[in-house]
Amino acid sequence: MKGFRLLLLHQISSQLRTTEWRALLFATWIAIALATLLALLGDRLERGLLRESAAMLGADLTLSSQRPIRNERLEHAQQAGLEHTQVIQFPSMIHVGDEMMLVSVRAAESPYPLRGEIRTRPEQPHAQPPAGEVWVESRILSQLELSPGDQITLGYAELRIGAEMLSSPDRGSGFRSFSPQLVMHQDDLEATGILAPGSRAEFRLLVAGDQSSLELLEQAWRDSLQGDERLFSLHTDQPMTGAALGSALGYLKLTALIALLLAALTIFLSLRRFSQGQHKRCALLLSLGLNGSDLIKLYLCQLLLAWGTLSLLGTLTGVLLEQLILTWLNELLPQALPTPVLWRYFSGTAMGFALLILLGLPPILQLSRISVSSLFRDEILGSDTRAQLIQFSCFILLAAALLTFLEAPLAALTLLVLILVGGALFGWIAQQLLRLLAAPLGRKLLLGRLLTLRLRQQKRWHRLQAGVVILLMTLLSLVWISRTDLLADWQTQIPEDTPNYFVVNIQPWQTEPLQHFLSEQQISSQLYPMVRGRITTLNGAPIHEQLNPQQLEHNTLNRELNLSWSDQPPAHNPVTAGRWWDSDSDDAEISVEQEMAEELGLVPGDRLGFDLGGLTLEARISNLRQVEWTSFQPNFYVIFNAAALEQMPATFITSFRLTPEQESIATQLLREFPSLTLIDIGQLLQQIATWMERLGDSSALILALTLLCGALLMLLTLRQALEQRRYESALLQTLGASAAQTQRLDLLELLLLGAVCGFLAVMTAEGTLALLYLYLLQLPPKLHPLMWGLLPLASTLFFTLSGAVLRRQLTLPQCYRLLRSA
Amino acid sequence: MTLPTTDEIILEAQHVAKWFPTQDQRLNLFSDLNLRVHTGQTLAIVGRSGAGKSTLLSLLAGLDQPSEGQIYLAGHQLATLDDRTRADLRARQISFIFQSFHLLPELTALDNVRLALEIRGDRHADEQARHWLSEVGLGNRMQHYPAQLSGGEQQRVAIARAFATQPALLFADEPTGNLDEETGHQIIEQLFDLNTRENTTLILITHDPELAARCQRCVTLHAGQLHEATA
Repeated sequence: MKGFRLLLLHQISSQLRTTEWRALLFATWIAIALATLLALLGDRLERGLLRESAAMLGADLTLSSQRPIRNERLEHAQQAGLEHTQVIQFPSMIHVGDEMMLVSVRAAESPYPLRGEIRTRPEQPHAQPPAGEVWVESRILSQLELSPGDQITLGYAELRIGAEMLSSPDRGSGFRSFSPQLVMHQDDLEATGILAPGSRAEFRLLVAGDQSSLELLEQAWRDSLQGDERLFSLHTDQPMTGAALGSALGYLKLTALIALLLAALTIFLSLRRFSQGQHKRCALLLSLGLNGSDLIKLYLCQLLLAWGTLSLLGTLTGVLLEQLILTWLNELLPQALPTPVLWRYFSGTAMGFALLILLGLPPILQLSRISVSSLFRDEILGSDTRAQLIQFSCFILLAAALLTFLEAPLAALTLLVLILVGGALFGWIAQQLLRLLAAPLGRKLLLGRLLTLRLRQQKRWHRLQAGVVILLMTLLSLVWISRTDLLADWQTQIPEDTPNYFVVNIQPWQTEPLQHFLSEQQISSQLYPMVRGRITTLNGAPIHEQLNPQQLEHNTLNRELNLSWSDQPPAHNPVTAGRWWDSDSDDAEISVEQEMAEELGLVPGDRLGFDLGGLTLEARISNLRQVEWTSFQPNFYVIFNAAALEQMPATFITSFRLTPEQESIATQLLREFPSLTLIDIGQLLQQIATWMERLGDSSALILALTLLCGALLMLLTLRQALEQRRYESALLQTLGASAAQTQRLDLLELLLLGAVCGFLAVMTAEGTLALLYLYLLQLPPKLHPLMWGLLPLASTLFFTLSGAVLRRQLTLPQCYRLLRSA
Repeated sequence: MTLPTTDEIILEAQHVAKWFPTQDQRLNLFSDLNLRVHTGQTLAIVGRSGAGKSTLLSLLAGLDQPSEGQIYLAGHQLATLDDRTRADLRARQISFIFQSFHLLPELTALDNVRLALEIRGDRHADEQARHWLSEVGLGNRMQHYPAQLSGGEQQRVAIARAFATQPALLFADEPTGNLDEETGHQIIEQLFDLNTRENTTLILITHDPELAARCQRCVTLHAGQLHEATA
């Protein structure tokens, strides 16, 4: 036993000096760190934002609606003997002097919240702000340079800041949950004058209590859910905050998949080469009296020791990286995150085990089949069916472990297949391009002819290198361009006169004074009436009976739409089919947005039926309109003729542009019309951009680890390839080539490979970006000349420089000695 | 069997010595070693392991420099040649056959032979390679990779590669060392047969007395000195 331990220790210390073993250790370290980072981050975000739904919802069950909560719902909750309370959430601008800020306001009844608590600084004796007081998040305090005790203006009301809100449940759904939040008592709401019938707000009924009563109520509500209502509970739907962060986390995990794959590939190649180098040693150990199972035990112990040490190092690195990312995200996260569950700390360790053991077991089992006779002659271990089966099973298990770890099996599997197929395809294309480039050289130069043979000989290596390099460089360019150019391109394509302020919740009696105010300030704008309604029928029959499942998924059919009316077509909406109605038309007529009509198969002449807050109305489609959704103008899927809708209660919406010099007009407007909701698009975009930027930083960190894995893999394979080239170089020199010729041959090969990889990476990145421009930003694609220069240059430099550094020129005597010993 | 020879000296070693510096002294492998080989001759160098046979062969082939003395190959004093000229000399005048065959595994038999011809800039490399593979009986295995060939076949590819460049001097280092007796015998027959036809000078290192006996001359390297036995 002591002898075995000594042998093991000696083996480990001697193998620490080999490139393969070092690469394997390094790749495993990165993989464990990355897996730990993702597991901890994922657990904290998920438990903080998804799993602790009770605290997140502020209740056990929440009913949300775009209309005031129906009385029958309140009665149901009361009858079930459950505790309940109501919250109204809406966007609004608060102002202090000339400074304004867009916030998300929550006006809550007492008691509030029903589950979880609002944490404040300084601590407050109440669970929620009392009347006359608001609690605000730190972002509001820092941006407006306020502190507890100061006054703010919200609508017509002056309210005192009672405390800074450190965390709070029930942040609401949608993007509003990311906006800086303000909580007030519902008793103060009327004084603000902000809300009126038809105002844009989310009304929530929070319910808590006995589990069985809750289940019955939830079931009853689910069965009778109206079009404007949504139900959030602990076990089913999650608030949008969680969903958005869940998607962000999913994105980070998918980015990490590439790093984990590269690490797995590095470990696999290192292990293969490592085990090939162990044949003689194993034969020697066998000749000294060890048997096959001793060998398995020896190498397994070596792997397990490596795994144990790296688990410690990798977990520590993962924890540090997680802290770094949380520092970046900290100020954007809605509330403090819970500490991770203990077993999550071992996720990286488990991933490391899967990688090392599943990839290491097949070569170790192969080693046990070595015979003593290989000491005397070179024996190549054939790969029999059993060995292939074991290896295949290990690959499948590893893929399953990866997909399970990433917790999004379908997306991860799709990406996995895309990466493998993409990598193989890029490798093949690169190899064909290399052949094409070398052919004319081969006709003219001796070096070219040698290059042709070299390309034939190194085709597998070229495919692997090119596949990895092209994928990595494409990924790098996409992240780089997305972070720099994409958002800027989108912003610069917005015309100069694009509105940057929206005003909503304009009541009918405010339209005239508001228009007067705006024209006095020489601001051009148009007011659009807005009525909320839901499409119910098509040509007299229920619409869901006439459309296919895909059409029924359409965004316009599963929610209430903002409908408007007008006698004139909007200036920015050209009519593409049919004709606009006459202003004296008495029939109910509608104009439908062109894409919606195409997707639902609607044509002029069809009749659509609407439910307008309980009233039904049917109207004939007179024409189709083209709508530019990114124009920042009020846009509508459906516009009625005035005669059909003008009797309905409506609010109005408008948008306009203020130059930086005119920004004081916004404050004036809010002073004169405190009940209006003014939305600063600039601030909204800034909030989105900040999120994108922080998410970008986090993914850049993972990308950096991916690049590290990729660079490690490339250096490992390059080093192995150059070692093989030493042998080739020795042979070529013995056959009559000069040292300079072999050096030129190596450099020419690496130079061409680098250039081809760079070129293909540019093509792939441009292709992907073109798709993003066309379909995501709806902009004409554009070329990125800098990338055309940089990528091929970087790729060429990487190959030639690392080749030049790692390559060792052989002297003639060394050539002969190498050939004799090989 | 009479082998064609001429009076022309193709290889001559004069007072050649080789030593290696060690920590505090130098290790003399051989000293004042003289050898003269005529065109078309076959010469076997035998000796115990570690006697310096391979080092001597690398000196004679211009792959290494002697510590003292001069070596003349095809009229050139090797010490005076630059790297390029020496490479050119190897490409046009010299060929090697190794114990371990040394075929590039990712190239077919044809490409392995072509490689040697391409290095010397032969315009008919493909044609020549096909011809020589047929000569060694591998006309039907040209597109096979080394891993698809037996040890004997791989050595025949190596022989084809060596003769394809039509060298004046052929160095063979234990050419049958990795082969079984019967295959080794066949390879020897082929080697000597081609050598006779092409009038190539053959210098080989071997432990095999039978192989050494096939050569016109046999020298033994012992204690740093060459001792010639009468064939």
